[in-house]
Amino acid sequence: MSALLAIQDVVTAYGKIEALRGVTLAVEEGSITCLLGPNGAGKTTLMMTVAGILRPRSGSIRFGGGEIAGAAPHRIVEQGIALVPENRLVFPHMTVLENLRAGAYQRNDRGGIAADIDRMFVRFPRLKERAAQEGGTLSGGEQQMLSVARALMSRPKLMLMDEPSLGLAPLVVEEIFRIITELHRDGTTIFLVEQNAHMALTVAHHFYLIEQGRITFSGDPGSLAEDEVIHRAYLGSAKV
Amino acid sequence: MDDYSIGVLTNIGLFSFLALSAYLLLIAGEMSFGQQAFFGVGAYTGAMFTAIYGMPLPLAALAAMASGAVVAVLVGLPTLRLRGLYFAMATLAAAEMARILFEMLHFQREINGELVGPDGTQGFRGIRWVFERGVEPLEYMALIYALLVAVLALFLWVERSRLGTTLRSVGADPELAASLGIDVTRLKLGVAAAAGALAALGGVLYAHHNTYIEPRNFDIMLGVHSLAYALIGGLGTAFGPLLGVLIDLGLLEGTRFFHAYRMIVFGGLVAVLLVFRPRGLLDERVVHWIHARAFKRA
Amino acid sequence: MLADLIQNTLDGLTAGAAYALLAVGFTLIFGVLRRVNLSYGAAIMLGVYFATWTSHHFQVGLLALALLTIAGAVLAGTYVERLCFAPHYAARDLRTGASSSSIAAMVASFALWMQFEEAAILALPKHLYAFPPLYSGEPLRLGSFLLRVESLYLLAAAIAVCLLLHTILYRTRFGLAVRAVIDVPMAAQLVGMNVSSVFVRIFALASAIGGLAGFLIAASHEQVTPMLGMWSTIKGMLAMMLGGLGSLPGAVAGGLVLGLLEAHSQWYFGPQMRDLIAYLLIFVLLALRPAWMTRWTTIRSAS
Repeated sequence: MSALLAIQDVVTAYGKIEALRGVTLAVEEGSITCLLGPNGAGKTTLMMTVAGILRPRSGSIRFGGGEIAGAAPHRIVEQGIALVPENRLVFPHMTVLENLRAGAYQRNDRGGIAADIDRMFVRFPRLKERAAQEGGTLSGGEQQMLSVARALMSRPKLMLMDEPSLGLAPLVVEEIFRIITELHRDGTTIFLVEQNAHMALTVAHHFYLIEQGRITFSGDPGSLAEDEVIHRAYLGSAKV
Repeated sequence: MDDYSIGVLTNIGLFSFLALSAYLLLIAGEMSFGQQAFFGVGAYTGAMFTAIYGMPLPLAALAAMASGAVVAVLVGLPTLRLRGLYFAMATLAAAEMARILFEMLHFQREINGELVGPDGTQGFRGIRWVFERGVEPLEYMALIYALLVAVLALFLWVERSRLGTTLRSVGADPELAASLGIDVTRLKLGVAAAAGALAALGGVLYAHHNTYIEPRNFDIMLGVHSLAYALIGGLGTAFGPLLGVLIDLGLLEGTRFFHAYRMIVFGGLVAVLLVFRPRGLLDERVVHWIHARAFKRA
Repeated sequence: MLADLIQNTLDGLTAGAAYALLAVGFTLIFGVLRRVNLSYGAAIMLGVYFATWTSHHFQVGLLALALLTIAGAVLAGTYVERLCFAPHYAARDLRTGASSSSIAAMVASFALWMQFEEAAILALPKHLYAFPPLYSGEPLRLGSFLLRVESLYLLAAAIAVCLLLHTILYRTRFGLAVRAVIDVPMAAQLVGMNVSSVFVRIFALASAIGGLAGFLIAASHEQVTPMLGMWSTIKGMLAMMLGGLGSLPGAVAGGLVLGLLEAHSQWYFGPQMRDLIAYLLIFVLLALRPAWMTRWTTIRSAS
C-alpha cells in the first residue's frame, strides 16, 4: 500500500507563533489513520493546512503523487480531499438538502448527485426526515451526520475528519464511529483527528501522536499500551 | 517663506487636529465618519464668541473645545455601544444633522455697522479677530504648530502611560477589557469627549485662519478624509495621522505639476499602499521596530 | 389633504425604487464580502458619465445608453474589486473576519472614489449636463393624481431586479455558492467553492444593478451632476441601514421607506428638514438598535 497523503516537515505559523514545527506523517491508502494529541498541539492547524485554509510556511504535502501544499481550498477539494471540520460548520440557514447540494458543488453530473443524495438519506435516515429543515435547527449529532454527508457528496478519495465526536453523547459517538468504519469499508481513506483516544484506537489502523507541533510517536494500536496513549493524548508526555 | 507655503503648512497643521481626533477614536476601537461635525462646532462656536461677543481667542478656543466635548458626549451616549459600521453610520448621520443645523443657523448681530454672524448657507463672514490684531500669517502658523506640538506631547505621554495601554486594549478586545474590570463605556465616552474637543480646537483655529466658514466646509468628505489620514498614516503612533495629512496635503502641492490629476495619482497610490500595508504606514509593528532600534542605541 | 398624501406617496415610491436599487447593490457587497465599498456611488457615476459623454457625441438610443452605463459601472466596479478587495481575500482572513483588512479595503475604496470623481470631472468639467430623457411625454393622469411614466420604469426595474436576484440566489448554482458564502465562508471554501470567484461575480452584479439605477436616475431627471457619486453613496448606505444591514429584502424596504419618508417630509417641512428627518430617523434607530436591525449581526458582524 502506498501513501495517499504524505506530509513532510510542514511548518505552519500564526505570525510569529509556530503551531506546526515540522510535521511529518503519511496516510496509507485505504486506511483509517488517526492523529491524537492534547489540546493546542496542532491537530486542527494541520487539518486546516492540508485543506488549504492555512498556508504552510515550509514543507511539502503530497497527495496522489502531486504537491498540494499552499493550494487554494477549492483546488484541494478538486483533488479529492474533503474536510469535515471541527464544530461541523453546517450552513445554518440552508436546508439539509441544500447543504448536501453544496457538498456536491464541484460536480456536474445531475443524475449522479441525485443518486448520491438518495444514498445519503439511506445511510443517514434522520437527515432524510429533516431534508427541508434548516441546518441550524438540527441537533449536534444530526449536524455531525450532515457535515459528514456533505463532505461525502464530493466523492472524496481522502476524508479528513476533525474531532467528529466533540460534544456528542456516547450513543451518538458510537454511531459516528460505526459510520467511519462503513465509509472505510466502502473504499474511502480516512484521516481522523480525535480527542476521544479510546474510540479512535478501536477503528484506527495506524496512529500518530502530536505534541507541541511535532509528531512524537507513530505506530499501530497495540504498539503502545492504551493508557500510555490516552495519557499522552490528553496531557502530553512528561518529557518533551 | 512665501505666503503660499505658509498657507499649505497651516492647512496641514489645522487638519492634523482633525486627523488626530479620528485617530484617538480608532485606537479606542471606534470608527467615526463624523469628526468633521466637531470641527464645525468648534469653528462656529469659537467664531461667534470672538466676532459677535468680542471674546479673546484663547478664551473662545476653550469655549469651543468645551462645546465640542459636550456635543461629542451627547452623540456618544446613545451610540458608543454600537460597533463597526453601525457606529460609523450613526456618526455620519449625526454629522450630517449638524451640517444641516449649521445651514439653518441664522444668528447675526450688527457690529460696527455690519451684520456679523452665521447666515445659514451663506456662511459666516468676518471672523477677523486674529488678523485685526496684526498677527502675521507666519505667526499664526507658529501658534497652530505650537498647539499641535503640545497635543502631540500629550498623546505621546498618554501612549506610554497605563491609560494608553488600557485604551488600546479596549480597542482591541472590549469584552476582555470589560471582564478585567475596565468601565469600557465611561472610557469610550471620555475618549469621545477628548476627540470632540480636539477636533473643535482645530475648527476654531481654522475659522480664524480662513475668516469665513460655511456649512459646506464640514461635509462628509472632510470626515472620511480625516479617517483616511489616520488609517493611511498608521495607527501605531500619533505621528501616523500627521503623516497621512502630510502625504495628502503635502503631495497636493508637491504634485502640483500633476495638478489636474492629483487625486487620480494620490488615490491610486493609497489603494496600492493599502494592499501591502493594510494597517497603514506607521502601524504597530513598524513603531515597535523603531522603538526597539532606538532603545538598542540608547 | 388626502390627495397630497397620495401624490407624495407616489412620488416617494418612485424615489424609493431608485434608493432600493442602490441599497441592493451596497447590500450585495456588504452581505457577501462583509466589506463596505465606498466607491460604489462613484463607479455608478462613472458609468453615467460615460453614457452622457457618448450621448453628447453620438446619436444613441436609450437602450444603448442603459447598456453603456451598466458596462461603465461594471468596469469601474471590477477595477475597484481587484485593487481594493481582492488583495485582502486571504483564506485565513475569511476565517477570522480580520477587521484590519476590511478597514483597509474600505479606505482603499474611498481612495478610488476620489479617483473616479476626478476622472469624471476631467472628462466632463461642467457642473451640469443634459441626459436624454427616459420618457418624453406627458405624465399619466389617474383621476387627480399625476403619475410620471418614469416612475413606472423605476418601479418596474426595482421589481425586475428583485425577481432576478431571487431567481439567481435560489435557483442557480452560483446563487447556492453566494448563500453559502454569506452563511459560513469557511465551510463554503471547504466544499470546494471558489470564494474569490464568487466575490468577483457578486461585485459585477452589484455594479450592474447600480449602473441600471444610475441610468434610470439620470434619465428621469434628464440631467447629471458631479454630485451623483456622493448622493448615490449616501442614499444607498442610508437605505441599507434602514432596512437592516446585510438583508436584501431589507434593502428594498429600506429604500422604499426612505423615499416615502423624504417625499412626505419635504412636502410638510421643506427640503432641509427632509434630509434632517431622514438622518434623525437613522440615528434614533441605531441608538435604539431594534432587534431586526441587529438580527443580521449575529450571523455576520458589522465590523
